[in-house]
Amino acid sequence: MGGGVAAVVFPDLIDEWTGLSEFGLGGEFVAAFIAAFVIGNLMMIMTALAGPWAKRKITAAFTDRIAVNRVGPYGLLIIPADAVRLLSKELIVPDGVDRPAWDLGPLIVASSALLGFAFIPFGSGVHLADPETGLIWVFAIASIASVGLVMCGYASNNKYSLLGGLRAVAQNVAYEIPLILTGISVVIFVGSLQMSEIVAAQSQELISIAGVSIPMWFAILNPFAFVLFLAANFAEIGRNPFDTPEAPTEIIAGYQTEYSSVYFVLIYLGEFLHIFLGAAIIATIFLGGPAGPVLPGIVWFLIKLWAVFLLTQWIRSAMPRFRIDQVLVFGWKLLLVGAFLNLILTAVIVGVIT
Amino acid sequence: MSVTEPLTDTETGELDYDAIFEILGDHIIDRESHVHTEAAVVRPDEVQSTLRILREDAGFDHLSCVVSQEYRDRFESVYYLKTYDDPTQEFGVVVPTSRDEPKSQTATGVYETAGWHEREAYDLVGIEYEGHPDLRRILLPESWMGHPLGLDYDQDRPQIVEYREHENPLEGHVEEGETMFINIGPHHPATHGVLHLRVVLDGEQVADLDPDLGYLHRCEEQCCQSGTYRHQIMPYPDRWDYASAGILNEWAYARTAENLADLDVPEYAQILRTMSAELCRICSHMLALGTFCLDIYGDFTAIFMYAMRDRERVQNILEELTGQRMMFNYFRLGGVVWDIPEPRQEFFDLVWDFLDELPAAIDEYHDLITTNEVFQTRTVNTGILEPDVAKQYGCTGPVARASGIDYDLRRDDPYGYYEELDWEVITEDGCDNYSRLLVRMQEVEESAKIIEQCIELLEEWPEDEREIQSNVPRTLKPDPDTETYRAVEGAKGELGIYIRSDGTDKPARFKIRSPCYHNLSVLPEIAEGEYVADMIASLGSLDIILGEVDR
Amino acid sequence: MSGDITPQPSADEDVQRATTDARMGGGTDDRFNSPLRQALGTSPFILTKFDRFMNWVRGSSMFMLQFGIACCSLEMMHTYAVKHDLDRFGAGVPRASPRQADVIIIPGTIVSKFAPRMKRVYDQMPEPKFVVNMGSCSISGGPFQEGYNVVKGAEEVIPVDIHVPGCPPRPEALVYGVAKLQDQVRAGESSPVVVKPYELEKFGDLERDELVDRLAERIDEDDLVMRYNWADSP
Repeated sequence: MGGGVAAVVFPDLIDEWTGLSEFGLGGEFVAAFIAAFVIGNLMMIMTALAGPWAKRKITAAFTDRIAVNRVGPYGLLIIPADAVRLLSKELIVPDGVDRPAWDLGPLIVASSALLGFAFIPFGSGVHLADPETGLIWVFAIASIASVGLVMCGYASNNKYSLLGGLRAVAQNVAYEIPLILTGISVVIFVGSLQMSEIVAAQSQELISIAGVSIPMWFAILNPFAFVLFLAANFAEIGRNPFDTPEAPTEIIAGYQTEYSSVYFVLIYLGEFLHIFLGAAIIATIFLGGPAGPVLPGIVWFLIKLWAVFLLTQWIRSAMPRFRIDQVLVFGWKLLLVGAFLNLILTAVIVGVIT
Repeated sequence: MSVTEPLTDTETGELDYDAIFEILGDHIIDRESHVHTEAAVVRPDEVQSTLRILREDAGFDHLSCVVSQEYRDRFESVYYLKTYDDPTQEFGVVVPTSRDEPKSQTATGVYETAGWHEREAYDLVGIEYEGHPDLRRILLPESWMGHPLGLDYDQDRPQIVEYREHENPLEGHVEEGETMFINIGPHHPATHGVLHLRVVLDGEQVADLDPDLGYLHRCEEQCCQSGTYRHQIMPYPDRWDYASAGILNEWAYARTAENLADLDVPEYAQILRTMSAELCRICSHMLALGTFCLDIYGDFTAIFMYAMRDRERVQNILEELTGQRMMFNYFRLGGVVWDIPEPRQEFFDLVWDFLDELPAAIDEYHDLITTNEVFQTRTVNTGILEPDVAKQYGCTGPVARASGIDYDLRRDDPYGYYEELDWEVITEDGCDNYSRLLVRMQEVEESAKIIEQCIELLEEWPEDEREIQSNVPRTLKPDPDTETYRAVEGAKGELGIYIRSDGTDKPARFKIRSPCYHNLSVLPEIAEGEYVADMIASLGSLDIILGEVDR
Repeated sequence: MSGDITPQPSADEDVQRATTDARMGGGTDDRFNSPLRQALGTSPFILTKFDRFMNWVRGSSMFMLQFGIACCSLEMMHTYAVKHDLDRFGAGVPRASPRQADVIIIPGTIVSKFAPRMKRVYDQMPEPKFVVNMGSCSISGGPFQEGYNVVKGAEEVIPVDIHVPGCPPRPEALVYGVAKLQDQVRAGESSPVVVKPYELEKFGDLERDELVDRLAERIDEDDLVMRYNWADSP
């Protein structure tokens, strides 16, 4: 098994650049805080770009429209306008909501996604923490969101919210297992749970065709696992065709029906952060992480994130939604079996090779 | 159908009314003659037995319309019967009741569709139907005072409308498991307007469903009763089925009034009517397709937008022709209001362009929708509507045709120019949501065929014979107490109008038989036991327009 | 003689002021008053700029409520869709939940049974919220005004910012209406909230009269009701 050779992580880099390490533990803490601040803001900016603007523009492109173009260049000023307006709206607390849970729900949804980015190697040294159990950490933290969703749904004192919350939980439980099992098949290849190790393993050359070196990305090595993981991931983050928890034409807006103003922003933010976190996991364990020619690693990583985001929006425009029972049947009877099959095959193949 | 044969005159193929009266025997107390059919007058306590004989021995399996009205000396319910095999075979049953105690036997045991008809009659006119399983108000709020289409109703009286969170009707009645009551609507993205569904859920499944109507009851019948035949009524039909199917609705009124006043329509105008009506049908089916996909896909996504794009093209054509995008007001009694705009060739080019590009657009829809496997898992074998149930509830139009009922008034009870043209009636045997979508998509193609032939005729029509309007008196005053009920094939099915004249220039009773109303009444049958998502999809596939449901 | 004639510009100003007064209900505009502003004086520079920024924000981006009533809702859908694309103005995101919407377009006839529900939906929207009346039905009852069941315009129930006339208005007209609303909001104007003739009330609070007495057995004292005095309607 690969040892826990800790790579240089982002807080250490900041230590070096600023010399904060001279101040001992306090300095390290400040450095870590700065690093977290940078990454957090990077993700916030991406979400801000994606939520009010890119999503609309991409959907518009798929439906022969233009979308926002009056406010600022290419309608970009819609981002501050949307954000400030939503934040400045009246926060309605409906009668009979279960107060602490109702307030904490959106916070958990948003923060769980943001926390997950701590373990993602963005490339160019931007990597907040690299524990030996990195992959497990990411999965564990990302799935806290289910708790947030059920809190939102249950505490809202609204039947539509309740339905949405229950659907979200049923779906997340069903897809968590194939998601992790498929992730583990990658771990078997690499022999480590550490994110940096997984990325490093993919940088080796798989095959060289006419001078073009094709890296050993697991998406290329094991496309079956990649497809399984994509499907499970879309269900996990509640995107089409598995967007049953918030199916607008059935249950209004699902668990977020009763939320307005700041809390709505938090849920909205959480949703997009979860898309990006899902994209980041996919990019890290299947698409070679920040690897890529010419451009610096972090740029490649962001390109990969946006590619996955584009894919979610594309599917949203083109695919019908499953019914909740079909979602569950698909998860338990197809994906789970596929994931086990994939796991066993991988284990056997890896066992034979080594 | 074998039972109907003895009643049909072998030479003319027309209904032998004497034979029917003979079968009914003692039940009849009098005979009446309406413009379109003969009718039997029966006593209010013999409604069920009479209707049962007519249904079982004379083969009338379609209760087309129930008209209720108040006279100075009596209340009256009229049941108009038809057969699904040949809708030209019609018969009426007139049930008078006393003014002091307006009670009449219900017809619900014989025809399920009478249920909603009689609730409406109770609500608006005030006749009580004995033995009705669920005699509540249907269009007006429960707390309403008085019956607005009665003769003595005072419109200026104040009213109180309640707003209550409804109770779970199944609470305490279910042995195992717990149920949850949920209001879907009247403001809900999937109810296609302001429909309110009182749903009891058992988990994700629908345990009980009760459509609550009347959130768009705009008093259309009263409005029509206070307008004059010649001009003032025609704008209202546009607003019944407002999914740009206005011209089809106008035709329903035009056909009835022309039948009532015995007016002719020039051949050229008939072609214009046929063409514009079919354009409307395309428009309406495109909306049905778009919103159905909206229900399945969940967001304002590609299919919805593409359907809207194609609707926009049809609306442009109709705007060229009629001057309006939606509320066309194009028909006049005895013709249409104006001819194709000059230069004619430009208009024809516009239509040809549309027709040329339509097949490609439909292929695109098939690519995106019907061949999509996820879509198929969602729609095939969900929302099953058996043909027998459909007939019992008086379903017509694409909903009935998707259950294999070969019933289309354009062919079976011909009007306009349809008889001269070459087209097919589309049926599917799937009985499910998927079939209903397929029927609509294929009907769009058939409509395109009809339009194509009409345009060819119009292009070659000699210039001096372009007569768009026959000679119609300035004020129409049909003879007193003339009654007629005529129907056309609207976008959603059999759209019928009943008019009784009282010798003035306004109708004394104007009743609309709305296809959506009856198609919607079948929703509890097809949705109970299904998942919520399928209930929403079934509602979408029934393609209701609340303006026509509530009127 | 010329001295007697009132200069034209001031007449214009009078008209303008009268219009503003009529819209705002006269007096100072204190709709955006805050404790901070009261502490710092009437129109401090920063808060004025901030107000202008907030007005720009509210006028530039709007979430619409996905709210269809009647015929006009079809033209509303066309306004959102391909050709007219209301989203160009930053006003094309339909939200199904009223909690997340800023603007409610009222596209159709309001009838007695629906008015209480519409009022409730309006009440569920968070402030600041705006109302666009679409079509003659929601302005006055339109072609159905004579009907026994038709509320004579949405303004009988909720306050309205913009009226878009037509039966139904063309999508272009609705786009113009929304653009006008945005201008209005950016300029810091919006309609005053006034008491509407038809309000939701508790049944028990109604004055006892013949009608109330007759319904008393059927309706719970605590139920909300809306009482229509048709004779007083315009």
